Amino acid sequence: MEEQVFDVFARKNRGESLTHIGYLSALTPELARVYAWKTYDEENWFEMCIVPRDQIIPVNRTDGPFAGAALTGPGRVDQGGRG
Amino acid sequence: MNVLDPGLPHHPEPARQAFRRLLLGMADTKRILGIRYSDWLLGAPSIEAGIAASSMAQDEWGHARLLYATLKDFGADPEALEHDRHENAYASWDPLDEPLPDWAWVTATMMVVDGGLSVALEGILEGAYEPLQGRMQKMLGEEEFHEALAEAWFTRLASSQGEGRVHLKSAVEAVLPATLSCLAPGDEAHAVLAEEGLFPGAEALRSRLAARLDPSLSHLGMSVPLEVALDEGWDSTRGRGPGHPGLEAVERARGDRNRALFVE
Repeated sequence: MEEQVFDVFARKNRGESLTHIGYLSALTPELARVYAWKTYDEENWFEMCIVPRDQIIPVNRTDGPFAGAALTGPGRVDQGGRG
Repeated sequence: MNVLDPGLPHHPEPARQAFRRLLLGMADTKRILGIRYSDWLLGAPSIEAGIAASSMAQDEWGHARLLYATLKDFGADPEALEHDRHENAYASWDPLDEPLPDWAWVTATMMVVDGGLSVALEGILEGAYEPLQGRMQKMLGEEEFHEALAEAWFTRLASSQGEGRVHLKSAVEAVLPATLSCLAPGDEAHAVLAEEGLFPGAEALRSRLAARLDPSLSHLGMSVPLEVALDEGWDSTRGRGPGHPGLEAVERARGDRNRALFVE
């Protein structure tokens, strides 16, 4: 079983937007959940969520940390926007 | 019967002593467990696992401090309990007497010993001693993450076909019987607690531990035994088997080396 990268999002108060606060590696989503809560514990978070990085679909970039799951084919939006 | 009063002043002395034994055993177990977890800040399978171990160590030390402070209501001096006791007086559960040799052992300890402590916390929470209820809720909230980590690693190691599974099974076989004895001894002091409605009886506690652990233990073809005979040499004063945690751990728990330098 390979480790997966998970991105961590959190907000301090109800009504605020979730903010990307970091990432981690874990073997399973359940381990990632615990690691996220225990690693990013510098704030008293109102809400924290994790997302498997390979489930993030980049919209306008083909490079950078989230490019791994770039769509190919008809759904693809090429870098550079609408031109 | 007024159970709102700290220290159970309206209960018979044997019940007060038995409740004191229960709290001290849990406090000492959490303190030594914290030390055993802290050893794995470095050397865990990943940086994230090490951080989680370190965080759990902090949780356990915080819980221990709360429980030691509670013992003041039972006539004890928390300062003396934390810093001035001989290792023979420690009532921590037997499986923590020695350092945890590998991550499989850490996983078995998280699952069985830490899980057993949570069953004990739940037992106190539902008992008649109300002064502790709020603190127990907070501790159990933190323990949810210990349980999630234990289950994830347990499943991971148990489903492997290699050395990890063999080590995990050996560790569970080593820690489970003594954990059951310490959690649910069913001796005279325990019977008094159950009669007074302060803590569940032995059968109920063993069943609860089984309900908690058996889904995971089944991956190893194991289950929690519902009958356990106390070891010869059972120490009814401390509520544990003979022996004590290693001196090195007790010295760290007491803060021996540096306390002499920095504390008046």
